[in-house]
Amino acid sequence: MKISKIILLILLIVFVGIQFVPTKRNQSESVPNTDFMIVNNVPNNIKATLQTSCYDCHSNYTSYPWYNTVQPVAWILENHIEEGKAELNFSKWDNYSKRRKKSKLKSIISQIEDDKMPLSSYTLIHKDAILSNEQKKDIIDWINKIETNK
Amino acid sequence: MKKVIGILAVVILSVTVSCKDNKQEDQKEEMHNEMSEHETVYACPMHPEITGKEGDKCSKCGMDLEAVEAHDHSEMNHEDGHDHGNSESTEREITQNNTKNNATSAMLDAYFEIKNGLVADSKEKAENGATSLLAAISKFDMSKLSGETHKEYMEIAESAKEHAEHIIKSPIDHQREHFEALSTDITDLVALLGTDKVVYQDFCPMANNNKGANWLSEVKEIKNPYFGSKMLKCGSVKKQIN
Repeated sequence: MKISKIILLILLIVFVGIQFVPTKRNQSESVPNTDFMIVNNVPNNIKATLQTSCYDCHSNYTSYPWYNTVQPVAWILENHIEEGKAELNFSKWDNYSKRRKKSKLKSIISQIEDDKMPLSSYTLIHKDAILSNEQKKDIIDWINKIETNK
Repeated sequence: MKKVIGILAVVILSVTVSCKDNKQEDQKEEMHNEMSEHETVYACPMHPEITGKEGDKCSKCGMDLEAVEAHDHSEMNHEDGHDHGNSESTEREITQNNTKNNATSAMLDAYFEIKNGLVADSKEKAENGATSLLAAISKFDMSKLSGETHKEYMEIAESAKEHAEHIIKSPIDHQREHFEALSTDITDLVALLGTDKVVYQDFCPMANNNKGANWLSEVKEIKNPYFGSKMLKCGSVKKQIN
């Protein structure tokens, strides 16, 4: 009984301790001119969908869930966002070369078509991020449209 | 004991709250920094995601960062978006009177290795090819390239690198998607710098969701990398170089 109490106490201390480890917050409040939305003049309905379903991990602004402030969840999210942004960062869209923009747009379509994005681990908590068939079609049609206009 | 746990719970809560406050302040500071450097952004010509101050070096390749033109707010709402005139580089035509250049050979060989892996339905062989391609890109001597050619080469290399990285870590259907984009890059590379190899440009009308896609091959016989054994003979030779 005494040992279990000690273990519990140690766990609590560790838990409290890791709360002091700082994490980087991904919340730049200015929207840069290189942002996908600004560069491409995105229609409002698609803008809203992208914001809810993609921007948390693929831009410089994450709207964090409340539990993000608790470690070790914050670390996991930080890594996730880091990876997401390395793959595609909508905030820095205009910094990509034309060649890369083209291939990113293509990848966006195929990820959505194959239901690989948004990640199922993400939509598990963010139910509103799940893309309906209609939303998917809207995004894909719109991307195809801007592609052929170029 | 209950009391102890109660006290600990209060401690934990207060710690979380105070941490949050700290972070928000950090964040404000970060935001400020970001805004002040926004006027002239310096970015790596090869890794546009790496930005910094004048005189900084890219953390990935060590190149000097170059000033990126800041976009004027007045042109933000243009219907057709921005036109970066000088980067109209995608999908070049390979011409018959190509330069005989062996500098691109290592990259082409690696590309063919990926292609042959996909022809054989082998994820592993495609992966090995992509690893060779990464090595070939990093060994490529850019010092002979200048001005526009240099810039265009870097765009191609950056894109090809990204596709190679994906080919290394992806299942075969996804490898094929990236191979298609990679084929555009390598075709443009040959058009830009030339090759002394005999290369065939092939076309499969069914790839890319029936929109059609090109690929390059070192042999005349059609062996389709987009479908492998399923439709090995689908496609035709469009062009022969050298």
